[in-house]
Amino acid sequence: MSDLVPAAEVPARIAAYIQARIPGADDMTLTDLQQIAVGWSHETWLFDAEWMEGGKKRSAGFCLRRDPGNALLRDLSDLGEQFRVLKCLEGTDLLTPRAWWYEAGPEVLGAPFLVMEKVGGECPNPWGREGRRFYAEAADRGILPASFTDALSTLHNIDWQAAGLDFLGVPEAGTNQFAMNEIAKWKKLIALSGHGPEPVLTDLICWLEANAPVTERLTLVHGAYRTGNMLIADDRISAVLDWELQVIGDPMYDVAYVLSDLNRENSDLLSNLVPRDMFYRRYEDATGIRIDEDACRYYQLLYAMRSAAFWMSASGLYRDGASNDIRLARTEWSIPVVLQRAARDLGY
Amino acid sequence: MEPADLLARMSKMFRADIGPAIADEYPRTQAYLSSVVLQKLSLQLRNAEAHAAAETSERAALVSDLEHLLAVAPVPASVSDAVASLAASGDAGLCALIEVLYAAREELDQARFETLLGRVRADLRRSIDRRMEVAA
Repeated sequence: MSDLVPAAEVPARIAAYIQARIPGADDMTLTDLQQIAVGWSHETWLFDAEWMEGGKKRSAGFCLRRDPGNALLRDLSDLGEQFRVLKCLEGTDLLTPRAWWYEAGPEVLGAPFLVMEKVGGECPNPWGREGRRFYAEAADRGILPASFTDALSTLHNIDWQAAGLDFLGVPEAGTNQFAMNEIAKWKKLIALSGHGPEPVLTDLICWLEANAPVTERLTLVHGAYRTGNMLIADDRISAVLDWELQVIGDPMYDVAYVLSDLNRENSDLLSNLVPRDMFYRRYEDATGIRIDEDACRYYQLLYAMRSAAFWMSASGLYRDGASNDIRLARTEWSIPVVLQRAARDLGY
Repeated sequence: MEPADLLARMSKMFRADIGPAIADEYPRTQAYLSSVVLQKLSLQLRNAEAHAAAETSERAALVSDLEHLLAVAPVPASVSDAVASLAASGDAGLCALIEVLYAAREELDQARFETLLGRVRADLRRSIDRRMEVAA
């Protein structure tokens, strides 16, 4: 953390960096710079850039993400992989930000970072009062729920091999390898967190390993497909964001997340936005994939394990002094909440 | 002043006095979250003795019940060993027992596996419910 270039120095450094990457660019200035995320994952800055090029004034909007080295996912999250995924997705029908540059070394900002397009749109927080009102009103209009469902269908219809996404790792179809790989990934994060033993979590993990479903059909899986992880403009999804958890795997993994009551508060609407019947009908029509309720129930328990891993990691970062953000300490008490829910879903 | 009361008062101060006085969003959020953390710590401290006593007596009852259940018919040595060390090994021992039960479920047969795991789960449920008195 101590080697990071301070946030106040980032604008000048990034202006020089971008200018050096645009042939013929001069007099680069950044405006409307705002840091929009601190502490949980990668740091994110949005800004507009103006420069002279061939005697003409040019401008563009950018989004910069820097890995502060203490992100929730620890070494399971890789900005280089995010950059590569976004490049692969540029040739598909899915709306995503265009990725411009990635720097793996510490020379410019003291840590790896990527620069991508700033896409127009807003991203209301689904947990806040204003966000819930935004999504409730959008649900009444009916356009955004359809767009939300269609974007997931588009994501699952991507020819991931043609897009070059097989570098993510491809589990063997017709086996339970996908689910077992996910379990192994979250076990690793739990181990990295240094958290003490949690018997309910052990029971959950053993149950997940004993009941891992066979995956017949492989698609690109986003891993966190919900409101709050996408931009919205003119009542439609303008970009799918947060490419930190993507894998090649069972599309029901994403569907289960959409169906989960983790992502809606006191609302019958999926992700506080989409009527359940409409989601089923529209998704199945667009993908030809029948929603497997048993698989979704399994993956919802896998999400409980993942949530427990997230909160253990977060509270561990605070405990170990890797972060001074008290929000991370607060997550220590989110662990029993997740585990009580898992116990209920396991039948006790 | 009792430590739990002190923490509760500090929590209230962060929520009522310090948080509202901070203009910038990030430090204001930190103040309000500090209030939440202090309130949880206060409640945890207040319940600590009762919760620890409940855990101890329930663990003893669990060991006793499992020993009776194991006596009905032979079980893999890994299961009896895990039960034998349960009383002195805390939550790590309970995790080890759960792992052993799942690993031995075919040898145990399904009904016996479910009986043994069911007895363990009854304790897990009580324990997690106690933690929710603070976490909720």
